Amino acid sequence: MTALIELGGIRKTLKGQKQPRVILDGVDLRVDPGESVAIVGRSGSGKSTLLSVLGLFDRPDEGSYLLHGQEISRLPERKAARLRSAEFGFVFQRFFLLKHLTAAQNVAMALVNGQGWLPRRERRRRVLAALEQVGIVHLAKNKPAKLSGGEQQRVAIARALVRDPRVLLADEPTGALDLETGTLVIDALHAATERGCGLILVTHDRDHAARMGRTLDLQNGVLNERVLA
Amino acid sequence: MRRLSGRGRSALVIGIQGIRARKLRTLLSMVSLFLGVLAVVVVQAGASIAEKAMFADIELQQGVEGSKTMYLGAEPNTTKIVLDVTKGRHDVIAMVGMQAIIGEPGVRPVNEGGSPIGENWGGGPGPEAGGAPAGQAVEVRLSALTGDVRVFRPYRQRDGQWLDFATVPSVAPRLVLNEAAAKAFQQYHVPAQMRMNGQQQTVTPRFVGVVDDANPSPTAYARLDEVNRWNAGEQAAAPNGGPSGDLQVLLTASTPVTQVLQTRLKAVGADAYVDTVQSREEMAKELRLIRLIFLAMAGLVLLIGVAGILNVGLASVGERVEEFALRRAVGTPRLLLAGIVLTETLLTGMFTAAAAIGAGAGALRLVSMFLGDREPFLADVVFPWDAGVAGIIAGLIAGILGGAVPALRAAGIPIATVMRA
Repeated sequence: MTALIELGGIRKTLKGQKQPRVILDGVDLRVDPGESVAIVGRSGSGKSTLLSVLGLFDRPDEGSYLLHGQEISRLPERKAARLRSAEFGFVFQRFFLLKHLTAAQNVAMALVNGQGWLPRRERRRRVLAALEQVGIVHLAKNKPAKLSGGEQQRVAIARALVRDPRVLLADEPTGALDLETGTLVIDALHAATERGCGLILVTHDRDHAARMGRTLDLQNGVLNERVLA
Repeated sequence: MRRLSGRGRSALVIGIQGIRARKLRTLLSMVSLFLGVLAVVVVQAGASIAEKAMFADIELQQGVEGSKTMYLGAEPNTTKIVLDVTKGRHDVIAMVGMQAIIGEPGVRPVNEGGSPIGENWGGGPGPEAGGAPAGQAVEVRLSALTGDVRVFRPYRQRDGQWLDFATVPSVAPRLVLNEAAAKAFQQYHVPAQMRMNGQQQTVTPRFVGVVDDANPSPTAYARLDEVNRWNAGEQAAAPNGGPSGDLQVLLTASTPVTQVLQTRLKAVGADAYVDTVQSREEMAKELRLIRLIFLAMAGLVLLIGVAGILNVGLASVGERVEEFALRRAVGTPRLLLAGIVLTETLLTGMFTAAAAIGAGAGALRLVSMFLGDREPFLADVVFPWDAGVAGIIAGLIAGILGGAVPALRAAGIPIATVMRA
């Protein structure tokens, strides 16, 4: 079976400092469709950098990055933007909702991004379906200020899901939430994997990591399989 | 109508959302830009209205642009040659000018010398000189024509009809009056008796129409053959027979007659001076220069507005770093981010242009309402469309200039550093 994501020997060095610092030092990773993977590690270990490379926010210095068997590590920005729109969904620790837009408009943001154009009715249908998936369709017209932290994060998840991505990248999505709300958010992310979406979750929380299919530990720029006790 | 592309529509939707989210900022940008755009609109409107007012009557007075006028000296054979050459032609006509008095015989006209009614040019002996008493008579400038002069001077028909040159000459000369003459006849209840300057014989003319020839002095137009028929031919046609008689030949730009006429006139020793009408072009050149000077000044005011938009735009992009990074993360291309910022500033420019055009049109309406009585050209003045176009262009230029740098900044925001923060 072709892997959803396959990283081979990814290296990334942070420059612009007195001493260049190697963040990723030959990372190998394979994620299959529908698989969920947790990446854990100490602060500053390079988890977010790895996620940036995976999400095409940043380019690796070396190594290969295959998506469905296609090399994408050296894509020009225009094509990278198209892939981000079509293949990836992102959830961040800070929800990054635009406060002047309603929940529905925040979700629709991923559809109004210059990558094709959907008629208003179709947009609305997809937005409501995504909000339904995360259980907050009744809050569609609310602005972020009127939503709790958990609700805001679920709006962010709906925004990530609205284009039916094949890969979900979540960077400590529960970091700003209490345990109970965090569990709800992880539930919502997990539900996406049941529809064949690959999930890569960066987290510090052992419980949330334990719910993923695999847990990988990023240490000294290298990913190691880790068995949680 | 061609529909906008997906990117164009996305930019428009997001741009409108951005403006709605930052109404006060948009308003402040508009305020800073308003004076500049208004200055452009006012200069353009003023120049257009002035041009229209100046050009409105110039063709009636000076002649159609490019046509020629030949002024003839007082040579005995000139009239004969001119009549001979112009006979049966439409591209060249002769116009014999003379003074005539229409009204009660034996009285002095109310406008001696043919001056505009109410102005005294001092053409007669004056009441204190003991001449004939002033009465119901008006002195007119009589232009006797060999053809339709409107080819050269497009007089506007106000009433009745123009002279018919295709019919047999009438015994009683048919006259077309200009508006000044028609007004004077109505005002002074002048009886229809006409005598030429220096002659005793009178005739009863037939008034067939009224035209606007932009001449404030009472003027009448007649067929030369009808005037000649009544006035024993030679005398009336002799242009220098009266104190103010003259002969003009009007020629189209392309007529082949000019050289023939000049050669024949030269042969009899007549001094023919040909003038090509270029008054419109000269006037336009002067107006263009004045307009450019004022537009340059308006442009400077506009630049201040652009600086305002630029300032607000940069501040806005600085505030929206996360938004733009997020948009890039969800697949929005850099170009579209720049497009969003430009759309916002362009829309701001357009709203400002709409406000400035509205203000300009409103002010013009008020000026027309309150000053129209004093200045006739303001009475029915309408807001010129080119001033509106100039306002829109100024708004668009300001939007582009003010939005370009913020747009580039927005397009260059890195996703990784922002989303990690």
